[in-house]
Amino acid sequence: MQTQQAEVGAGAPGGAWDRVVDLVSRYPVTVITIFFIIFPFVVPYKALATQIIIWGLFALGYNVCLGYTGMLSFGHAAYFGVGAYTLGIVLIRLWENLWFGLACATFMGAFTALILGFMCIKRKGIYFALLTLAFAQLLYFLAFQWVDLTGGDNGLRHIPAVPLPLPGFTVDIQDPLRFYFLVLFFVVLALMLLQRVLQSPFGRVLEAVRENDPRARSCGYETTNVRWMAFIISGAISGLAGGLYALYLHFVGIETLYWVTSGQILMITLLGGMGSFIGPFIGAGVFLFLEDVLSAITDNWMIFLGTIFILCVLFFPEGIWGSVMKLVNRSAGKKG
Amino acid sequence: MSEMLKTSGLTKNFGGLTAVNNVNFSIEEGDLQSIIGPNGAGKSTFFKLISGEIKPSSGQIVFNGNDITGLAQTQVSHRGIAVAYQITNIFPLLTVLENVRVAAQSRKTTFNFWSKAESHHEITDQALAILEEIGLVEFKEDIAGNLSHGDQKRLEIGIALATQPELLLLDEPTAGLSPTETRYTIELIKKISDHLTIILVEHKMTVVMEVSDKITVLHYGSLLAQGSPDDIRNNEEVRRVYLGGVKV
Ligand SMILES: Nc1ncnc2c1ncn2[C@@H]1O[C@H](COP(=O)(O)OP(=O)(O)OP(=O)(O)O)[C@@H](O)[C@H]1O
Ligand SMILES: [Mg+2]
Repeated sequence: MQTQQAEVGAGAPGGAWDRVVDLVSRYPVTVITIFFIIFPFVVPYKALATQIIIWGLFALGYNVCLGYTGMLSFGHAAYFGVGAYTLGIVLIRLWENLWFGLACATFMGAFTALILGFMCIKRKGIYFALLTLAFAQLLYFLAFQWVDLTGGDNGLRHIPAVPLPLPGFTVDIQDPLRFYFLVLFFVVLALMLLQRVLQSPFGRVLEAVRENDPRARSCGYETTNVRWMAFIISGAISGLAGGLYALYLHFVGIETLYWVTSGQILMITLLGGMGSFIGPFIGAGVFLFLEDVLSAITDNWMIFLGTIFILCVLFFPEGIWGSVMKLVNRSAGKKG
Repeated sequence: MSEMLKTSGLTKNFGGLTAVNNVNFSIEEGDLQSIIGPNGAGKSTFFKLISGEIKPSSGQIVFNGNDITGLAQTQVSHRGIAVAYQITNIFPLLTVLENVRVAAQSRKTTFNFWSKAESHHEITDQALAILEEIGLVEFKEDIAGNLSHGDQKRLEIGIALATQPELLLLDEPTAGLSPTETRYTIELIKKISDHLTIILVEHKMTVVMEVSDKITVLHYGSLLAQGSPDDIRNNEEVRRVYLGGVKV
């Protein structure tokens, strides 16, 4: 190995940062939950907080692909978009029930990933990336053409503002803070389920496949199916995020399915750092915050955001969280 | 004793190059046979054909009475053939224990999403027993990629053993090892050959002569000679093409 990695011992000496990193690495779900419970009270407005956790959830799903399995997808707009449209269409046409709508969004995200994954998964690297992109664009054009169902270019409008049905009573979630906590509930649920999956025997196989696919195959694992399954899980989480996004906007724009969305989620994930729970949320936070600030200053905010992104990738290839980890590890190594 | 593996007319062409040429080879259950031959003789390719990593151009492979020619690598693995590769092929960022544990897990479960991997004690115990056997138990929590070359070579064998094979293909397990490490690996091979059938590819003649029941010599993909260590040592043709100059 070229890089000598220092390890953070359980009792890594002093330093607030060290302790934060240690805590986050050991109890990611708890730390993220607590942080995001406080979060809406410290950010300027709740809408930004809500967007951050929705995109963080999407990036978490994307990360199952990129960070945990090592598959570079360039078509995750498909699963996010399908989730969003599914929620809208279900609420408008089928049943005005929030649970049902989100369940359908998650399912359709997974189902789309199952179908498209089947066609892409045998390819690797750039071919895989291009195939995922091509299929996602196909869905975009399909949604564009199928005006009756999707509203086409105008987007899917008038998604009803449904309340949250709980046993015995219903809760109005139009209040931004309540809506934020509804989203947070799903984020935490997804985190807990994903953590469970990553610690399961399947999670270990996933690691092995990412580390050395040919060797995993020679050990008897059908690695194509393993990657396919990871792709489906990734699609499910992305679909859920898309459904929440539609619920939040009461609207689905056609651009949700556009390749720019796929690029954005890749940027967010790389920015935050792959292969951790916290990275995607940091990435979503930084990305959306910068977008918010920059777009208020200039119309050409994309150029600045792009430049910042390029600089980040050049100088912090492990992403923000990855770089923090490395820094802390290095200083712990020096001291220890 | 029954015949475990038999290849008939096994051939592999890479474009114009015939890497393995019409090889008839067989090994009985419980035996340890070695395959020797100069660089590029087709030894590793022969292993890849048996393990299903590549498909033969022609010929047949029969394992435990079943035709396994053309079976996928994963299926061959589940039939009970494992390879320890010439070029170390481990999971470099996983721990030493996890390298072996995940290989052992392949015999039990893949799509189990709910239980904790650690709760499968029988798998962990089996992995620990293998680490004990290959002498790496003290490094079990280390990152595998940080092990020395010699330790990685033994971990390579450990991963293969963890899939509980009946037939183990060892491709140059002592390449690049120090004399002490080589000694250790020889003893390890002797020990595991008590309960396994082994085909060994090796350049070190001392190793080959010490452990083999029978030796096969490959030359330009073709079978040149076959026999006991003594036969091979005294075979004129073998001496000329391969052992020339080497004292055995
Ligand atoms: N995938 C491939 N494509 C083309 N040629 C190949 C391929 N794999 C092996 N060969 C060629 O086949 C021949 C046999 O290679 P092989 O690796 O089986 O030799 P070997 O006996 O294992 O040699 P060594 O002792 O150096 O490990 C060589 O000439 C090699 O270049
Ligand atoms: Mg070889």
